[in-house]
Amino acid sequence: MIAPWLFERIVAWGDAPALVWSDTVTSYRELAKLADAWHEELSARQVGPGQVVAVEGNFSPNTCAALIALLRLGAVCVPLTPLLRSQREQFLDIAEARLLVVFDAADAYTFHEFPRTVTNAVTKKLIAREHAGLVIFSSGSTGKPKAILHDLVALLEKFHKPRRRKTTLTFLLFDHIGGIDTLFNALASGGTMVTVPTRDPEAVSRAIEKYRVHTLPTSPTFLNLWLISQLFEQYDFSSLKVIAYGTEPMPPSTLKKLHEILPDVALVQTYGMSELGVLRSRSRDSESLWIKFTGDGFRTKIIDHILWVKADAAMLGYLNAPDLIDEDGWLNTQDAVEVDGEYLRILGRVSDLINVGGQKVYPAEVENLLLQMDNVQDVAVFGRPHPMMGQVVSARFNLKSPEPLPDFKRRLGAFCRPRMAAYQTPRVVEISDDAQYGSRFKKLRSG
Amino acid sequence: MIERSSAVSIVVASIQEVFAQTGDSAPATLNEDTVLVGKDAVLDSLGVVSLIVEVEHRVEAEHGASVTLANDKAMSARNSPFRTVGVLADHVLATVAELGAA
Repeated sequence: MIAPWLFERIVAWGDAPALVWSDTVTSYRELAKLADAWHEELSARQVGPGQVVAVEGNFSPNTCAALIALLRLGAVCVPLTPLLRSQREQFLDIAEARLLVVFDAADAYTFHEFPRTVTNAVTKKLIAREHAGLVIFSSGSTGKPKAILHDLVALLEKFHKPRRRKTTLTFLLFDHIGGIDTLFNALASGGTMVTVPTRDPEAVSRAIEKYRVHTLPTSPTFLNLWLISQLFEQYDFSSLKVIAYGTEPMPPSTLKKLHEILPDVALVQTYGMSELGVLRSRSRDSESLWIKFTGDGFRTKIIDHILWVKADAAMLGYLNAPDLIDEDGWLNTQDAVEVDGEYLRILGRVSDLINVGGQKVYPAEVENLLLQMDNVQDVAVFGRPHPMMGQVVSARFNLKSPEPLPDFKRRLGAFCRPRMAAYQTPRVVEISDDAQYGSRFKKLRSG
Repeated sequence: MIERSSAVSIVVASIQEVFAQTGDSAPATLNEDTVLVGKDAVLDSLGVVSLIVEVEHRVEAEHGASVTLANDKAMSARNSPFRTVGVLADHVLATVAELGAA
């Protein structure tokens, strides 16, 4: 049996609240009962070890119970979100799913069978180990989704050590490694996972107050929106102790403002990648962007300012892309870092790096400065091909109130001159009303 | 069709705008012979990048023509189309004409 301790714990937590979904609380007892029912239902549909099953939904009671049952059956689970339904056929094909369970907004479900068998060599490797699996899709810089296969036994190992019970608001989607990490963390520690119907600052604030949320894992982009919303005086955030942010570099201005407003909340940067899971780390302090990796089960090294990680829980491999992990088990994260003793600071993806006539520009660094400019609500900085310089820095702004472009450009020039090098200064400037982030609240850096 | 004098005016106004953005004062006299790249140039290479963006922007705003002045052809030309104000104005006219022909 796969990770028997996890199921024993789920039963043992009894009447403790496991899940808040659609403003309804589900206890561990109810969740365990649902998981048993799903075990039966899926067994009746011949789901067993090595079967690839896709589950489309949110963190509803049935969706979570189905995931637990699939793990117990030793199946390969492919969590999907309805938000990416347009790509669903492609996902099912790449993962070679033979069964799809679709959950709707009322937590009702339908089954869809497909005449597929597993041919992928990486999946076959997992099946030979007789381990349950998890397939996560990452958007990839080229836009073509990459399917990442995890060995769930390895991924769950870090939750085996008992941890403090706490209430966590799940901000991430069901198909995200961070969301799955939060779910297993809660299940393994008897914690409560709170989900929100929409991810707007109002809904998140309300849920924190109502369910006494302790930990909020989120993204710097959401935190920025939250700050702008000025909801801090209207809600009681006294239960909130930890804000964990990851997935993109944090603007120091956002961090500083947040720390001023919530001085008792620990602001912690986490480092996660779909390929690696979420790595445990500690921030130097709540106003610091320097982190130190603290967890067991992985090692890090830095080569040419690039972070490499060797993790026990790393993916088994991509189902549809060349392997990123070298023969010694090290994965090139493609994240550029700055090092100070045992601490390091994430500068950003090497692929986001802009090369202006040989000079390197990190978009996040320029964005962080530009966010401090008057009337700037948000900005995305990216490289634009240029026949003279190779690339030039391009910036797309959202303004707080309308301002004519020529006036704004003059102010921008005056703002940038004392603060950044000429090659870092945006040469192509746009003002836009469109949001600068995607459905995952990650900054969109493209022309 | 853009008048040549109008193209020259756009280039001159764009240079003034680039100087306004950098906070430096523009040269007292700007005319067709003002050198833009290389020896005696009034702008550095990044300044020229900004200038080209500004000229493109103004051509579009004033004449509705969306042109790309810094393309591979322009970069590989024996004589740079960005040498002087006058040469750049000619390059604007040629690029707009090409657009019309396409």
